[in-house]
Amino acid sequence: MKTISQLTDFYYNTLYPQILELEKERKALKERMIKFAIFIGAVAFILFYFLTDKLHRIDSFVLVLFIIPLLGLASFIYKFMTKDYASSFKLQIIEPLIKEIDENLRYNPTYKIDQQTFINSEIFKEKIDRYNGNDYVTGSIDGVQISFSDLHVEKEEKDSKGRSNYRTIFQGLFIVTSFNKYFSNSTIILPDSAQSLFGSLIGGWLQSNNFSRSQLVKMDDPEFEKEFVVYGTDQIEARYILSHSMMQRILELKKKTAKPIYLSFKDEQMNLAVAYDKDLFEPSVFSSLLEYKVAMEYIKTLQLTLSLVTELKLNEKLWSKR
Amino acid sequence: MTLFIILGVIALVIVLMYNSLIGKKNQVENIFAGVDAVLKKRYDLIPNLIASVSKYMEFEKSTLEKVTQLRSEANKPNLSDNEKVKLDSQISSALGSIMVAVENYPELKSNENVMNLQHNLTEIESQISAARRAYNQAVTDYNNAREMFPTNFMASLMNLQRKDVFVINEDERKNVDVKGLFHT
Repeated sequence: MKTISQLTDFYYNTLYPQILELEKERKALKERMIKFAIFIGAVAFILFYFLTDKLHRIDSFVLVLFIIPLLGLASFIYKFMTKDYASSFKLQIIEPLIKEIDENLRYNPTYKIDQQTFINSEIFKEKIDRYNGNDYVTGSIDGVQISFSDLHVEKEEKDSKGRSNYRTIFQGLFIVTSFNKYFSNSTIILPDSAQSLFGSLIGGWLQSNNFSRSQLVKMDDPEFEKEFVVYGTDQIEARYILSHSMMQRILELKKKTAKPIYLSFKDEQMNLAVAYDKDLFEPSVFSSLLEYKVAMEYIKTLQLTLSLVTELKLNEKLWSKR
Repeated sequence: MTLFIILGVIALVIVLMYNSLIGKKNQVENIFAGVDAVLKKRYDLIPNLIASVSKYMEFEKSTLEKVTQLRSEANKPNLSDNEKVKLDSQISSALGSIMVAVENYPELKSNENVMNLQHNLTEIESQISAARRAYNQAVTDYNNAREMFPTNFMASLMNLQRKDVFVINEDERKNVDVKGLFHT
């Protein structure tokens, strides 16, 4: 597995000509956008002035009615204007980076992990009303099958006035890999929100009475038990999967990502969801690709995700599964 | 009227406590069955292992015989849980020493069959360890309920006995002293 510094070298050396090209494109796009924003702003101001003048008052309702579609329009226009730039960024920067990590990985900027896989993982049990994603990567590392993509999963909610809006169930990376142990039941590992919120006594009681989940599996690693809650259909199998060393590796992974992580072991697969809470691998028009911080974000996320196989030692095959 | 409500509430509390205690007791038994199943899986490997290594292992004959004997004991019906636990720890250490001894025989080390058995054993070892951990947790939950307020009153009425957890004994924690094992 390539290290982060090796990938940084690759980014600033091999990809440098492409980055310069893209930078030109980005600057031109930024200029166009600023001009466009000024124009829209002016139109909006005139319209707003005209409207309030007619109604003789500035009603907060009118304001909301006016601003929401405007924001919607603005984001639509932003997406439309950056579409070409985003796709050339993905093809010229993200794809070569992935190939550099491992030659046999395949990348598709528009494809995503399918909804059925997401539902089958049993990590999120809420009803899904909107399912979006992109940046799909698939292939095998060290004999371990791995696929992942960006996902944004939402649920529709109606407020008291009957207006509907979408609430995010999950946004971040969703990763599916093959697992090196045989198992036939399902084991779900979630961030421990109840115990950190209500303390171990009440939180523990709440967890053991969670009706949407199967049995609570208490783990014998205090640090792990503090960070996560485990549900499973088989007490023994859950501990077979979560050996002491596995629990340590998962804790380590959590520290590295510094984001809430969710895991499930089901159907001979491991599913891992990392809640980054934003759309990853997208270029920003307003920051330079040459900036170290920007580059590092792409490199780090990719490296961390693909080093998962070695990090969790999924490549250490058991004799029976060779 | 109030009397009825109070009685009703008391009855409900008793029922809930009773059920939770029985639930915990059954959970322990349930998981012990799982422990038993993986232990059995290991016993089934033993004859195969003995057959493949006995040709080469001249000096360790006594250990091999001991394992065979322990296995037949473990297969006897009507063993109590405690006896099973004790036999398991003896077999674990005896098998461990055989595995270490295999290292001294190049013919055995490269034997496909022995290698296969060795990996199967390691695999089963990790299943056994998982089963033990599950059992210990269930026993801890059960013992806690038995001793903690307010379920302790109910438990003593039901005459529930304290159960023991699997203890990893000191012998097993130590590295196996092969020479000591074979030359005594």
